Amino acid sequence: MTSTLEDAAPRWYSHPYNRANFYRLAAALTWVPRRLRLAVARQVGRLAPSLMPGERAAIETSMARFTGATGPQLEKLTLRVFTDFAMCFSDLVSTNRQPTTLRSPHLGHVEGIERLTTTLSGGLISLTAHVGNWELAGRLLAGKSSRPTHVVVAPDELRELERWVRRDGEGVRFVSRARPTVSLELLAALRRGEVVGVQGDRALGTRGDIEVPFFGRPARFPLGPFLLSSGVKVPLLPAFCLLDSQYRYVVKIAEPFVAVRGEEEAAARTWVAALEDIVRQYPTQWFNFFDIWEPFAR
Amino acid sequence: METDKVLEELKDIMVERLKFSPSRLPDLSLATALPKDIDGSLGLDSLDFIELSIGIEERFGFVIDEAQDLAPHFHTLGTLVEYIQSRLA
Repeated sequence: MTSTLEDAAPRWYSHPYNRANFYRLAAALTWVPRRLRLAVARQVGRLAPSLMPGERAAIETSMARFTGATGPQLEKLTLRVFTDFAMCFSDLVSTNRQPTTLRSPHLGHVEGIERLTTTLSGGLISLTAHVGNWELAGRLLAGKSSRPTHVVVAPDELRELERWVRRDGEGVRFVSRARPTVSLELLAALRRGEVVGVQGDRALGTRGDIEVPFFGRPARFPLGPFLLSSGVKVPLLPAFCLLDSQYRYVVKIAEPFVAVRGEEEAAARTWVAALEDIVRQYPTQWFNFFDIWEPFAR
Repeated sequence: METDKVLEELKDIMVERLKFSPSRLPDLSLATALPKDIDGSLGLDSLDFIELSIGIEERFGFVIDEAQDLAPHFHTLGTLVEYIQSRLA
């Protein structure tokens, strides 16, 4: 039924950081004190815009729309995206891998923790985006909820990268969305009262996308999380993990909501509103290095 | 429930929920594979499987077992018919 659309779907964007050597380099710096490591990451991040003109242009487009900035201010914000990303990336392959006890000095407060408490029983869809250190958000929530967490991921072009970013543990299990029957597995997990973690900001390029205004202009978002929610009547919990000015991570949990059968589009709009709210607060931690409004343009 | 009857109910779900064209129904048999990554299959993607499983629950009146690996049951129309019959038995 959908094979034509699926076949026509473009290959997914892969940013130039997705190279094993970058991961090796970042992982090799694990022994360096974190403050120094992040300073090195910022320096590397400063070089990135000139090496990645396509990504720089895409980020400028996003920053202009998110903030209204122009001229030198826009340039400053664009550079900041690359330096913020470099720091979060450095933590992704080092701090994120540490046991909870070693990570805790880097964690600030959790905003909206009471919302997690109200969803502690029954299945739950943790909805996040490529903002801040999203992978850490998933691990922290898994630790707080003490329920198995299934994180849905795109199949990586490079299997070699999985050892750094997709290591199962601490109740977290990574599930590739490549298999069409993965949704059956997720429905079953939700019915068992477990947690499913999904990224809700990157369109798939298939009929499983829905168009929703994002900062005033239509953008495509994946519909799957909302169909899962309405299918088993479990709440969606938007959650984000952002780097603050003291280089500590703050977790922000938005109001949970349930998608109603047949009204999944309304649920998608609720999610996009929560995402916009976070991006307004932390525009330079928006780590989608492509044009979100024209994701498949070549 | 007889195999033919279950198969007919599944075809109804395909048309009503998965928006299949009724003209495709005569081609469907118990041997027809479901997932999109199999040659000659119905080409169902992950969203289709959500719709299909919810449709089965509503049509046949049981909750799909969350303890099992469900993928083998959703491999062909035949394996799905067998699964539904086992749940109704």
